[in-house]
Amino acid sequence: MADPTPAANAQEARRAVLADLLARTALADEKAFALLYRHTSSHLFGVALRIVRDRSVAEEILQEAFVNVWHHAGSYAAARSQPLTWLTAVVRNRCLDHVRRRELDTITLTPADDDAPAIDVAGNDPSPADLLLAGADALAVRDCVERLTGSTRQAIALAFFQGLSHAELATHLREPLGTVKSWVRRGLEKLKGCLDALGVGA
Amino acid sequence: MNLGREDRQSRLDLLAAEYALGTLPWRARRRLQRAAAADGTVARAIGAWERRLCGLAIAVPAVTPAPRVWTAISARLGLGAAGTAPGAWWTRMTFWRAFALASFAGLLALGVGNLVSRQEAPGAIVVVLAGPDAKPALVATASPRERVLRVKAVAPITIAGDRALELWLLPAQGDPRSMGVVPSAGTVAVPLATDSGDFLAGAAGLAITLEPAGGSPTGKPTGPILYSGKIVQI
Repeated sequence: MADPTPAANAQEARRAVLADLLARTALADEKAFALLYRHTSSHLFGVALRIVRDRSVAEEILQEAFVNVWHHAGSYAAARSQPLTWLTAVVRNRCLDHVRRRELDTITLTPADDDAPAIDVAGNDPSPADLLLAGADALAVRDCVERLTGSTRQAIALAFFQGLSHAELATHLREPLGTVKSWVRRGLEKLKGCLDALGVGA
Repeated sequence: MNLGREDRQSRLDLLAAEYALGTLPWRARRRLQRAAAADGTVARAIGAWERRLCGLAIAVPAVTPAPRVWTAISARLGLGAAGTAPGAWWTRMTFWRAFALASFAGLLALGVGNLVSRQEAPGAIVVVLAGPDAKPALVATASPRERVLRVKAVAPITIAGDRALELWLLPAQGDPRSMGVVPSAGTVAVPLATDSGDFLAGAAGLAITLEPAGGSPTGKPTGPILYSGKIVQI
Protein backbone atom coordinates (compact mmCIF):
# COMPACT_ATOMS: atom_id res chain seq x y z
CA MET A 1 0.00 0.00 0.00
CA ALA A 2 1.38 3.37 -1.01
CA ASP A 3 0.47 5.50 1.97
CA PRO A 4 -0.57 3.46 4.97
CA THR A 5 -2.81 5.31 7.40
CA PRO A 6 -2.09 5.18 11.15
CA ALA A 7 -5.04 2.79 11.46
CA ALA A 8 -3.53 0.52 8.83
CA ASN A 9 -0.20 0.66 10.66
CA ALA A 10 -1.86 -0.24 13.94
CA GLN A 11 -3.63 -3.13 12.23
CA GLU A 12 -0.36 -4.32 10.75
CA ALA A 13 1.33 -4.15 14.17
CA ARG A 14 -1.53 -6.11 15.73
CA ARG A 15 -1.35 -8.68 12.96
CA ALA A 16 2.37 -9.16 13.59
CA VAL A 17 1.84 -9.56 17.35
CA LEU A 18 -0.90 -12.15 16.90
CA ALA A 19 1.06 -14.06 14.26
CA ASP A 20 4.01 -14.22 16.66
CA LEU A 21 1.79 -15.43 19.51
CA LEU A 22 0.29 -18.13 17.29
CA ALA A 23 3.75 -19.26 16.17
CA ARG A 24 4.89 -19.53 19.78
CA THR A 25 1.68 -21.30 20.74
CA ALA A 26 2.53 -23.90 18.08
CA LEU A 27 5.68 -24.63 20.10
CA ALA A 28 3.65 -25.09 23.29
CA ASP A 29 4.55 -21.68 24.77
CA GLU A 30 1.94 -21.29 27.50
CA LYS A 31 2.60 -17.61 28.07
CA ALA A 32 2.09 -16.83 24.39
CA PHE A 33 -1.12 -18.85 24.38
CA ALA A 34 -2.46 -16.96 27.41
CA LEU A 35 -1.65 -13.65 25.71
CA LEU A 36 -3.30 -14.80 22.51
CA TYR A 37 -6.44 -15.54 24.51
CA ARG A 38 -6.26 -12.18 26.25
CA HIS A 39 -5.91 -10.32 22.93
CA THR A 40 -8.58 -12.13 20.95
CA SER A 41 -11.17 -13.78 23.22
CA SER A 42 -13.46 -10.74 23.60
CA HIS A 43 -13.69 -10.23 19.87
CA LEU A 44 -14.27 -13.92 19.23
CA PHE A 45 -16.82 -14.15 22.04
CA GLY A 46 -18.71 -11.20 20.53
CA VAL A 47 -18.77 -12.98 17.16
CA ALA A 48 -19.93 -16.28 18.73
CA LEU A 49 -22.67 -14.69 20.85
CA ARG A 50 -24.33 -13.14 17.82
CA ILE A 51 -24.56 -16.46 16.06
CA VAL A 52 -25.54 -18.85 18.86
CA ARG A 53 -27.38 -16.24 20.98
CA ASP A 54 -26.75 -18.13 24.18
CA ARG A 55 -24.03 -17.20 26.62
CA SER A 56 -23.28 -20.66 27.93
CA VAL A 57 -23.21 -22.19 24.44
CA ALA A 58 -20.90 -19.38 23.26
CA GLU A 59 -18.63 -19.97 26.28
CA GLU A 60 -18.52 -23.68 25.52
CA ILE A 61 -17.64 -22.98 21.89
CA LEU A 62 -14.92 -20.48 22.82
CA GLN A 63 -13.44 -23.05 25.16
CA GLU A 64 -13.46 -25.80 22.51
CA ALA A 65 -12.02 -23.43 19.93
CA PHE A 66 -9.06 -22.42 22.11
CA VAL A 67 -8.34 -26.02 23.13
CA ASN A 68 -8.28 -26.75 19.42
CA VAL A 69 -6.02 -23.77 18.70
CA TRP A 70 -3.54 -25.01 21.33
CA HIS A 71 -3.29 -28.37 19.59
CA HIS A 72 -3.38 -27.14 16.02
CA ALA A 73 -1.72 -23.72 16.07
CA GLY A 74 0.90 -25.30 13.80
CA SER A 75 -1.62 -25.55 10.99
CA TYR A 76 -2.12 -21.79 11.05
CA ALA A 77 0.92 -21.20 8.83
CA ALA A 78 -0.57 -23.40 6.15
CA ALA A 79 -3.79 -21.39 6.12
CA ARG A 80 -1.98 -18.34 4.67
CA SER A 81 -4.45 -16.18 6.53
CA GLN A 82 -4.43 -13.16 8.81
CA PRO A 83 -4.25 -14.45 12.39
CA LEU A 84 -7.52 -12.93 13.57
CA THR A 85 -9.27 -14.03 10.36
CA TRP A 86 -8.09 -17.58 10.94
CA LEU A 87 -9.22 -17.55 14.59
CA THR A 88 -12.57 -16.06 13.59
CA ALA A 89 -13.05 -18.86 11.06
CA VAL A 90 -12.27 -21.47 13.74
CA VAL A 91 -14.86 -19.99 16.11
CA ARG A 92 -17.51 -19.25 13.47
CA ASN A 93 -17.32 -22.77 12.10
CA ARG A 94 -18.07 -24.22 15.52
CA CYS A 95 -20.96 -21.79 15.97
CA LEU A 96 -22.36 -22.61 12.55
CA ASP A 97 -22.05 -26.34 13.19
CA HIS A 98 -24.06 -25.76 16.35
CA VAL A 99 -26.90 -23.74 14.80
CA ARG A 100 -27.14 -25.78 11.61
CA ARG A 101 -27.23 -29.06 13.55
CA ARG A 102 -29.78 -27.73 16.01
CA GLU A 103 -31.95 -26.69 13.10
CA LEU A 104 -32.00 -30.28 11.90
CA ASP A 105 -32.98 -31.53 15.38
CA THR A 106 -35.89 -29.15 15.73
CA ILE A 107 -37.08 -29.05 12.18
CA THR A 108 -39.96 -31.46 12.78
CA LEU A 109 -40.94 -29.78 16.04
CA THR A 110 -40.92 -26.15 15.08
CA PRO A 111 -42.10 -24.76 11.79
CA ALA A 112 -39.41 -22.49 10.39
CA ASP A 113 -41.50 -19.33 10.52
CA ASP A 114 -42.37 -19.99 14.14
CA ASP A 115 -39.20 -18.93 15.78
CA ALA A 116 -38.24 -15.34 15.40
CA PRO A 117 -34.64 -15.63 14.33
CA ALA A 118 -33.37 -12.11 13.92
CA ILE A 119 -33.11 -11.02 17.49
CA ASP A 120 -31.52 -7.75 18.35
CA VAL A 121 -28.51 -8.62 20.45
CA ALA A 122 -28.95 -5.30 22.24
CA GLY A 123 -31.38 -2.49 21.58
CA ASN A 124 -28.90 0.12 20.42
CA ASP A 125 -26.61 -2.33 18.69
CA PRO A 126 -25.43 -1.67 15.14
CA SER A 127 -27.44 -3.58 12.53
CA PRO A 128 -25.77 -6.47 10.69
CA ALA A 129 -25.61 -4.37 7.51
CA ASP A 130 -23.86 -1.58 9.47
CA LEU A 131 -21.41 -4.09 10.92
CA LEU A 132 -20.65 -5.36 7.45
CA LEU A 133 -19.96 -1.85 6.18
CA ALA A 134 -17.85 -1.02 9.22
CA GLY A 135 -15.86 -4.23 8.77
CA ALA A 136 -15.36 -3.46 5.09
CA ASP A 137 -14.23 0.04 6.06
CA ALA A 138 -11.62 -1.35 8.40
CA LEU A 139 -10.28 -3.59 5.64
CA ALA A 140 -10.43 -0.75 3.09
CA VAL A 141 -12.93 -2.67 0.96
CA ARG A 142 -16.06 -0.57 1.63
CA ASP A 143 -16.65 -0.24 -2.07
CA CYS A 144 -17.22 -3.99 -2.43
CA VAL A 145 -20.01 -3.97 0.16
CA GLU A 146 -21.55 -0.75 -1.11
CA ARG A 147 -21.87 -2.28 -4.55
CA LEU A 148 -24.33 -4.85 -3.21
CA THR A 149 -27.98 -3.80 -3.39
CA GLY A 150 -29.67 -3.06 -0.06
CA SER A 151 -31.54 -6.37 0.17
CA THR A 152 -28.56 -8.45 -0.88
CA ARG A 153 -26.33 -6.67 1.61
CA GLN A 154 -28.88 -7.25 4.36
CA ALA A 155 -29.30 -10.94 3.51
CA ILE A 156 -25.55 -11.55 3.49
CA ALA A 157 -25.01 -9.56 6.67
CA LEU A 158 -27.78 -11.44 8.53
CA ALA A 159 -26.37 -14.77 7.43
CA PHE A 160 -22.80 -13.78 8.24
CA PHE A 161 -23.27 -12.14 11.64
CA GLN A 162 -26.34 -13.95 12.97
CA GLY A 163 -25.95 -17.31 11.29
CA LEU A 164 -29.38 -17.27 9.66
CA SER A 165 -30.22 -20.09 7.25
CA HIS A 166 -31.88 -19.47 3.87
CA ALA A 167 -35.27 -20.28 5.38
CA GLU A 168 -34.72 -17.92 8.31
CA LEU A 169 -33.58 -15.19 5.92
CA ALA A 170 -36.74 -15.65 3.86
CA THR A 171 -38.90 -15.37 6.97
CA HIS A 172 -37.05 -12.38 8.31
CA LEU A 173 -36.96 -10.49 5.02
CA ARG A 174 -40.50 -11.60 4.05
CA GLU A 175 -39.38 -12.78 0.65
CA PRO A 176 -39.74 -16.12 -1.14
CA LEU A 177 -37.01 -18.64 -0.39
CA GLY A 178 -35.86 -18.75 -4.02
CA THR A 179 -35.43 -14.98 -4.13
CA VAL A 180 -33.36 -14.94 -0.96
CA LYS A 181 -31.20 -17.81 -2.17
CA SER A 182 -30.40 -16.04 -5.40
CA TRP A 183 -29.64 -12.76 -3.57
CA VAL A 184 -27.14 -14.59 -1.41
CA ARG A 185 -25.62 -16.43 -4.32
CA ARG A 186 -25.28 -13.39 -6.55
CA GLY A 187 -24.07 -11.27 -3.66
CA LEU A 188 -21.31 -13.78 -2.87
CA GLU A 189 -20.23 -13.87 -6.51
CA LYS A 190 -20.07 -10.10 -6.64
CA LEU A 191 -18.14 -9.93 -3.38
CA LYS A 192 -15.66 -12.48 -4.63
CA GLY A 193 -14.90 -10.56 -7.79
CA CYS A 194 -14.46 -7.30 -5.94
CA LEU A 195 -12.53 -8.63 -2.91
CA ASP A 196 -10.19 -10.70 -5.07
CA ALA A 197 -9.48 -7.66 -7.25
CA LEU A 198 -8.44 -5.78 -4.08
CA GLY A 199 -6.30 -8.68 -2.92
CA VAL A 200 -8.39 -9.64 0.13
CA GLY A 201 -7.99 -13.32 0.85
CA ALA A 202 -5.74 -13.80 -2.15
CA MET B 1 -21.93 -36.65 -11.53
CA ASN B 2 -20.48 -35.98 -14.88
CA LEU B 3 -19.99 -32.26 -14.78
CA GLY B 4 -17.39 -30.55 -16.86
CA ARG B 5 -14.29 -29.41 -15.05
CA GLU B 6 -15.36 -25.78 -15.08
CA ASP B 7 -18.88 -26.55 -13.90
CA ARG B 8 -17.54 -28.61 -11.07
CA GLN B 9 -15.14 -25.83 -10.07
CA SER B 10 -17.86 -23.20 -9.95
CA ARG B 11 -20.21 -25.54 -8.09
CA LEU B 12 -17.50 -26.26 -5.54
CA ASP B 13 -16.80 -22.55 -5.22
CA LEU B 14 -20.45 -21.80 -4.50
CA LEU B 15 -20.65 -24.58 -1.91
CA ALA B 16 -17.49 -23.28 -0.25
CA ALA B 17 -18.91 -19.74 -0.27
CA GLU B 18 -22.18 -20.81 1.37
CA TYR B 19 -20.18 -22.92 3.83
CA ALA B 20 -18.05 -19.96 4.90
CA LEU B 21 -21.04 -17.60 5.00
CA GLY B 22 -22.93 -20.19 7.05
CA THR B 23 -26.07 -20.77 4.99
CA LEU B 24 -25.21 -24.31 3.92
CA PRO B 25 -27.68 -26.73 5.60
CA TRP B 26 -26.32 -29.21 8.13
CA ARG B 27 -26.10 -32.32 5.96
CA ALA B 28 -24.44 -30.49 3.07
CA ARG B 29 -22.15 -28.81 5.59
CA ARG B 30 -21.05 -32.18 7.00
CA ARG B 31 -20.56 -33.59 3.52
CA LEU B 32 -18.34 -30.67 2.56
CA GLN B 33 -16.32 -31.00 5.79
CA ARG B 34 -15.70 -34.66 5.02
CA ALA B 35 -14.79 -33.85 1.43
CA ALA B 36 -12.36 -31.16 2.64
CA ALA B 37 -10.63 -33.64 4.95
CA ALA B 38 -9.99 -35.96 2.01
CA ASP B 39 -9.45 -33.52 -0.84
CA GLY B 40 -7.12 -30.53 -0.80
CA THR B 41 -9.03 -28.80 -3.61
CA VAL B 42 -12.13 -28.64 -1.43
CA ALA B 43 -10.17 -27.51 1.63
CA ARG B 44 -8.49 -24.75 -0.39
CA ALA B 45 -11.81 -23.50 -1.79
CA ILE B 46 -13.17 -23.23 1.76
CA GLY B 47 -9.97 -21.60 3.01
CA ALA B 48 -10.12 -18.97 0.28
CA TRP B 49 -13.69 -18.05 1.21
CA GLU B 50 -12.87 -17.90 4.91
CA ARG B 51 -10.03 -15.51 4.11
CA ARG B 52 -12.38 -13.36 2.05
CA LEU B 53 -15.21 -13.23 4.58
CA CYS B 54 -14.01 -13.79 8.13
CA GLY B 55 -11.99 -10.57 8.33
CA LEU B 56 -15.23 -8.66 7.76
CA ALA B 57 -16.28 -9.58 11.32
CA ILE B 58 -13.69 -7.14 12.67
CA ALA B 59 -16.26 -4.48 13.66
CA VAL B 60 -18.37 -6.77 15.83
CA PRO B 61 -18.47 -5.24 19.33
CA ALA B 62 -16.28 -7.24 21.68
CA VAL B 63 -17.87 -8.97 24.66
CA THR B 64 -15.59 -10.13 27.46
CA PRO B 65 -16.19 -13.78 28.28
CA ALA B 66 -16.49 -14.84 31.93
CA PRO B 67 -13.17 -15.76 33.60
CA ARG B 68 -14.39 -19.36 33.94
CA VAL B 69 -13.79 -19.86 30.22
CA TRP B 70 -10.04 -19.38 30.56
CA THR B 71 -10.01 -21.38 33.79
CA ALA B 72 -11.67 -24.28 31.97
CA ILE B 73 -9.27 -24.02 29.00
CA SER B 74 -6.16 -24.05 31.14
CA ALA B 75 -7.53 -26.85 33.33
CA ARG B 76 -8.29 -29.01 30.30
CA LEU B 77 -4.85 -28.44 28.82
CA GLY B 78 -3.05 -28.72 32.15
CA LEU B 79 -1.43 -25.32 31.73
CA GLY B 80 0.73 -23.97 34.57
CA ALA B 81 -1.27 -25.96 37.11
CA ALA B 82 -1.33 -24.25 40.53
CA GLY B 83 1.32 -25.61 42.88
CA THR B 84 3.15 -27.59 40.22
CA ALA B 85 5.42 -25.51 38.06
CA PRO B 86 5.16 -26.63 34.45
CA GLY B 87 8.05 -28.86 33.46
CA ALA B 88 10.76 -27.90 31.00
CA TRP B 89 9.50 -27.82 27.41
CA TRP B 90 11.16 -31.07 26.43
CA THR B 91 9.18 -32.92 29.09
CA ARG B 92 5.83 -31.70 27.81
CA MET B 93 3.62 -33.74 25.52
CA THR B 94 2.42 -30.66 23.68
CA PHE B 95 5.96 -29.85 22.56
CA TRP B 96 6.38 -33.32 21.10
CA ARG B 97 3.07 -33.17 19.31
CA ALA B 98 3.90 -29.81 17.73
CA PHE B 99 7.40 -31.08 17.05
CA ALA B 100 6.12 -34.12 15.12
CA LEU B 101 3.84 -31.95 13.01
CA ALA B 102 6.45 -29.32 12.24
CA SER B 103 9.05 -31.95 11.39
CA PHE B 104 6.73 -33.66 8.99
CA ALA B 105 5.85 -30.38 7.27
CA GLY B 106 9.55 -29.47 7.08
CA LEU B 107 10.39 -32.77 5.41
CA LEU B 108 7.60 -32.34 2.92
CA ALA B 109 8.64 -28.80 2.15
CA LEU B 110 12.21 -29.78 1.36
CA GLY B 111 11.76 -33.26 -0.03
CA VAL B 112 13.94 -35.74 1.83
CA GLY B 113 15.07 -37.34 -1.39
CA ASN B 114 16.88 -34.21 -2.45
CA LEU B 115 18.87 -33.89 0.73
CA VAL B 116 21.19 -36.80 0.63
CA SER B 117 23.23 -37.69 -2.38
CA ARG B 118 22.94 -41.20 -3.80
CA GLN B 119 26.54 -42.05 -2.98
CA GLU B 120 25.88 -41.72 0.70
CA ALA B 121 25.89 -45.03 2.51
CA PRO B 122 22.69 -46.47 3.86
CA GLY B 123 22.22 -45.71 7.51
CA ALA B 124 22.78 -42.01 6.96
CA ILE B 125 20.54 -39.70 8.93
CA VAL B 126 18.99 -36.40 8.03
CA VAL B 127 17.24 -33.83 10.15
CA VAL B 128 15.31 -30.89 8.73
CA LEU B 129 15.16 -28.17 11.37
CA ALA B 130 12.12 -26.00 10.86
CA GLY B 131 10.60 -23.10 12.77
CA PRO B 132 6.96 -22.83 13.87
CA ASP B 133 6.07 -21.75 10.34
CA ALA B 134 7.27 -25.20 9.17
CA LYS B 135 9.80 -23.56 6.83
CA PRO B 136 13.12 -25.41 6.84
CA ALA B 137 15.91 -23.25 8.27
CA LEU B 138 18.75 -25.73 8.71
CA VAL B 139 19.49 -29.23 7.57
CA ALA B 140 21.72 -31.64 9.50
CA THR B 141 23.13 -34.78 7.92
CA ALA B 142 25.46 -37.51 9.15
CA SER B 143 26.62 -40.71 7.55
CA PRO B 144 27.91 -43.67 9.55
CA ARG B 145 31.29 -43.52 7.75
CA GLU B 146 32.27 -40.08 9.03
CA ARG B 147 32.01 -39.13 12.65
CA VAL B 148 30.61 -35.69 11.99
CA LEU B 149 27.22 -34.10 11.84
CA ARG B 150 27.08 -31.47 9.12
CA VAL B 151 24.70 -28.64 9.87
CA LYS B 152 23.87 -26.30 7.03
CA ALA B 153 21.72 -23.17 7.13
CA VAL B 154 19.30 -23.26 4.19
CA ALA B 155 17.46 -20.02 4.94
CA PRO B 156 18.66 -16.65 6.21
CA ILE B 157 18.64 -16.52 10.01
CA THR B 158 18.93 -13.23 11.86
CA ILE B 159 19.86 -13.11 15.52
CA ALA B 160 21.12 -10.31 17.77
CA GLY B 161 24.90 -9.96 18.10
CA ASP B 162 24.91 -11.01 21.75
CA ARG B 163 22.99 -14.23 21.10
CA ALA B 164 23.97 -17.61 19.75
CA LEU B 165 22.23 -20.60 18.23
CA GLU B 166 22.80 -23.74 20.24
CA LEU B 167 22.16 -27.19 18.85
CA TRP B 168 20.66 -29.86 21.10
CA LEU B 169 20.21 -33.55 20.68
CA LEU B 170 16.85 -34.61 22.08
CA PRO B 171 17.23 -38.14 23.42
CA ALA B 172 14.18 -40.38 23.54
CA GLN B 173 14.29 -39.80 27.30
CA GLY B 174 16.02 -37.33 29.56
CA ASP B 175 17.44 -33.87 29.12
CA PRO B 176 18.66 -32.42 25.83
CA ARG B 177 22.39 -32.87 25.21
CA SER B 178 24.27 -29.87 23.86
CA MET B 179 26.03 -30.34 20.54
CA GLY B 180 27.52 -26.89 20.64
CA VAL B 181 26.89 -23.52 19.12
CA VAL B 182 26.19 -23.39 15.39
CA PRO B 183 26.62 -20.38 13.07
CA SER B 184 23.59 -18.65 11.56
CA ALA B 185 24.94 -19.03 8.02
CA GLY B 186 27.01 -21.55 6.10
CA THR B 187 27.89 -25.08 7.16
CA VAL B 188 29.48 -26.40 10.30
CA ALA B 189 30.78 -29.89 11.01
CA VAL B 190 30.06 -31.01 14.57
CA PRO B 191 32.35 -33.86 15.59
CA LEU B 192 30.56 -36.90 16.98
CA ALA B 193 31.85 -39.12 19.75
CA THR B 194 32.41 -42.78 18.90
CA ASP B 195 29.10 -43.86 20.36
CA SER B 196 27.15 -41.03 18.78
CA GLY B 197 26.12 -42.96 15.67
CA ASP B 198 23.88 -45.30 17.61
CA PHE B 199 22.89 -42.57 19.97
CA LEU B 200 21.80 -40.34 17.10
CA ALA B 201 19.75 -43.08 15.52
CA GLY B 202 17.95 -43.73 18.80
CA ALA B 203 17.25 -40.07 19.54
CA ALA B 204 14.02 -38.28 18.75
CA GLY B 205 15.39 -35.20 17.10
CA LEU B 206 17.44 -32.07 17.16
CA ALA B 207 16.47 -28.62 18.35
CA ILE B 208 18.06 -25.20 18.18
CA THR B 209 17.50 -22.69 20.94
CA LEU B 210 18.45 -19.05 21.25
CA GLU B 211 21.08 -18.69 23.96
CA PRO B 212 23.48 -16.03 25.22
CA ALA B 213 26.65 -15.64 23.13
CA GLY B 214 28.87 -18.66 23.73
CA GLY B 215 25.96 -20.95 24.51
CA SER B 216 23.75 -21.83 27.45
CA PRO B 217 25.39 -20.97 30.77
CA THR B 218 23.64 -23.86 32.54
CA GLY B 219 24.25 -26.74 30.17
CA LYS B 220 20.52 -27.01 29.56
CA PRO B 221 18.42 -24.96 27.13
CA THR B 222 17.51 -21.59 28.61
CA GLY B 223 16.14 -19.70 25.61
CA PRO B 224 13.19 -20.26 23.27
CA ILE B 225 13.25 -23.07 20.73
CA LEU B 226 13.70 -21.57 17.29
CA TYR B 227 13.89 -24.70 15.17
CA SER B 228 13.41 -28.39 15.67
CA GLY B 229 13.26 -31.51 13.57
CA LYS B 230 12.95 -35.25 13.73
CA ILE B 231 15.83 -37.62 13.00
CA VAL B 232 15.12 -39.56 9.85
CA GLN B 233 17.18 -42.55 8.87
CA ILE B 234 17.72 -42.84 5.14
